[in-house]
Amino acid sequence: MRSTRISFTALFTLLLVMFVMPLTLKAEEAGEYIAIRKEGASRIAIVLDNLAASGGKQSEWAKSLDNTIKRGLDFTGLFNLMPAPLNIRNSQNGTLNLTTIASVGGDMYAGGSVTNKMGKPVLEMHVSDVSGKPLLDRTYSGEEARLRDMGLRFCADLVELLTGKRSVFGSRIVFVSNRTGYKEIYMCDFDGENVVQLTSSRSISLTPSVSSDGKYLAWTDYTSGKPDLHIRNLATGANASVGKQGVSISPAWRPGTNTCATTLSFEGNQNIYLIRADGSVERRLTSGGEINVSPTFSPDGSKMAFVSTRQGGPQIFVLDMGSGQARRLTYSGSYNTQPSWSPAGDKILYSSMQKSGEINIFTVSIDGSGLLQLTSGAKNNEYPSWSPDGSMIVFSSNRDGKRKLYVMNADGTNQRPLLRMEGEQQQPSWSVSK
Amino acid sequence: MIILAGCSSKSAVSTNGTSGTGVGTGSGVGSGTGAGTSSGQGAGAAVETQNVDQKLSTGTIIGDIFFDFDSSALSDEAQEQLKQNAAWMQSHPFPAVTVEGHCDERGTDEYNIALGERRAEAARNYLVTLGVKSNRLTAVSFGEEKPFDPGHNEEAWAKNRRDHFVTK
Repeated sequence: MRSTRISFTALFTLLLVMFVMPLTLKAEEAGEYIAIRKEGASRIAIVLDNLAASGGKQSEWAKSLDNTIKRGLDFTGLFNLMPAPLNIRNSQNGTLNLTTIASVGGDMYAGGSVTNKMGKPVLEMHVSDVSGKPLLDRTYSGEEARLRDMGLRFCADLVELLTGKRSVFGSRIVFVSNRTGYKEIYMCDFDGENVVQLTSSRSISLTPSVSSDGKYLAWTDYTSGKPDLHIRNLATGANASVGKQGVSISPAWRPGTNTCATTLSFEGNQNIYLIRADGSVERRLTSGGEINVSPTFSPDGSKMAFVSTRQGGPQIFVLDMGSGQARRLTYSGSYNTQPSWSPAGDKILYSSMQKSGEINIFTVSIDGSGLLQLTSGAKNNEYPSWSPDGSMIVFSSNRDGKRKLYVMNADGTNQRPLLRMEGEQQQPSWSVSK
Repeated sequence: MIILAGCSSKSAVSTNGTSGTGVGTGSGVGSGTGAGTSSGQGAGAAVETQNVDQKLSTGTIIGDIFFDFDSSALSDEAQEQLKQNAAWMQSHPFPAVTVEGHCDERGTDEYNIALGERRAEAARNYLVTLGVKSNRLTAVSFGEEKPFDPGHNEEAWAKNRRDHFVTK
C-alpha cells in the first residue's frame, strides 16, 4: 500500500507537470506546488469556501451547490476538505486574504459566487494556490434543474486539472437489488444518488452490464422460468432476448462494438459466445466441456479475460480474440472468479475465495505479476468493477450483515458504503457517462 | 402444479418448493410466480408431500440429491436416490419433471448458475440412462438464488447444494 501511495504521488506530480493547462498554471510551478505539500500527505488540502450569493433564489442555489461540490470532491478521495477560516476575507474591502489558507494548512483555495440571470443559476468558480496564483476560473450556467450537474462539472474540471482525468463524475452504476422482494436491475449516479429501477420482471434479475457507449443494457432474468439474457436499448426502451436452450448468463460488452460476450449452454457445454444487440449469436469464443463464465474485455477489445474450470477449480484465463489462444492468468488461490479489466488495460480485478472462507478482492497485472489484495478481514467482498477512469472500484460486501454496495480507491484505501437503500444490493457494474 | 418431495436414507431434507429467501418465485417452470406457493423457510427435516392429483399415489417419492462443494459429481447415495426417482417416473408415466440445480451461497453468483446447471444436467442425464424419456425432463439452474436453508453454516450449505425435482 505504501509503495502504491508513493507512486500515486509521483504520478500525480508527473501529470501536473505533463498536462497542458489552459490557465495560468505553469509546469515548473506545478512541480513546485507538489513539492511544498507536506511529507507523506496523500491528499490535497483544499479550503472550500461557501459560495457567495445575495439572498433569495441565489442563496438557495448556493447552499445546494455548496453541498454538491463538497460531496463531489470528497467522493474522489483526492482531497482533504477544510472550511474557510473566519478571517479569510479582508474586513475592510472584502478581498481574499490567502495567507490564512497556509496558516490553517491548506494547499489550495476554492470559492465562488452564484447569481441569478433571468431565472437561471450562474456559478462562477475560482481556484488558486496559497500564493494567490489562479489555477482555475470558470463560469457554469444552465437550467435550475441542472444545478447538481453544474456543481459536478466544476468538480470534474478541478480534478481533471489536477490529475488529467475527469474522475468518476457523470458515470453511472448498474446493480441488482431485492428492495421490492424481487431481484431487479437498478441504476444510480457514480455517488449513489438518483437511484432508478430499470426492470420490473418480478422474477430474479441478475448481472447487469452496460455497453461502452452507454447505449445498451444486458442482463439475465428468470421470466421464462430459466436464466435468459435480455438486451435493452436504453434510449428507445426496445428489448431483445437470446431465446436459446439452457442458461444465458454473465454478459459483458466488447468495447467499441455493439456485441457482448455471454455464457450460453444451448450446444451442451457452457461456453462463452459473442452475441449481437438483437440477441443473435455471432460466434463461439471458448471451447471445451467445462464451465466458462464471467467475460471481461481489454479496453481495445482485443483480449477477453474469463473464468474457466478447464484446469480444475475456477481460475481466470485470458483469451486472445484474434488467435483464439487462451492462457491462465491466476495461480494463487483455488477459487478465483469475477474478473474486471482495468480501463488503462494493465490490470485485472477479481474476487478470490480464501481458505478462511472469506471472499476478497485482488488486482493482478496482465502478465500475472504484481498481485495485490485490496480487501481483508471483512467477510465477503465480491463483484469488483472499475470506474471508467480507473480511479475507483465498486463492489458488494456483507461486512455489515446484508449485502450492500461499497466503493474504494483503486489502491484499496478509503473503503466506504456507496448508497443507503433498503434490502440487499449486489453485482454492481460501473459504466460510462450518460 | 404438484411437488413431491421425499428423502433418501439419511438426507432428510425437503420442502414444498420455494426458497426461504423471500426473493424467490414459484419454482415450477411456467407455473406462475410467487403467489400460491408457500414458503419453505427453515427447511427442517419433515417430509411434506402434497397430493393434489388423484392419479398420483400418496407417499410416492422423488427425492432431492446432494452434492459436495463446487462439484456436480453424483455420489453413490445420489445415484441410489436417482434410481428410486427413475423407478417412480416409470411407474407414473405422465408428469414431466423439472430438475432444479441449486448451490450453496459460497462462491460467486454467476459461477454458481453454471454449476447449478451442471448439477441439474448430471441428474437429468443419469435418469435418461436409467430409461426415463428425455422429453419428460427439463434442467433449470437457480444457482444460489433459492436456498432451502437460509443459514450461513455447513449444515445449511449441505442442504442447499442439491437437485430438487418438481413435477408438473
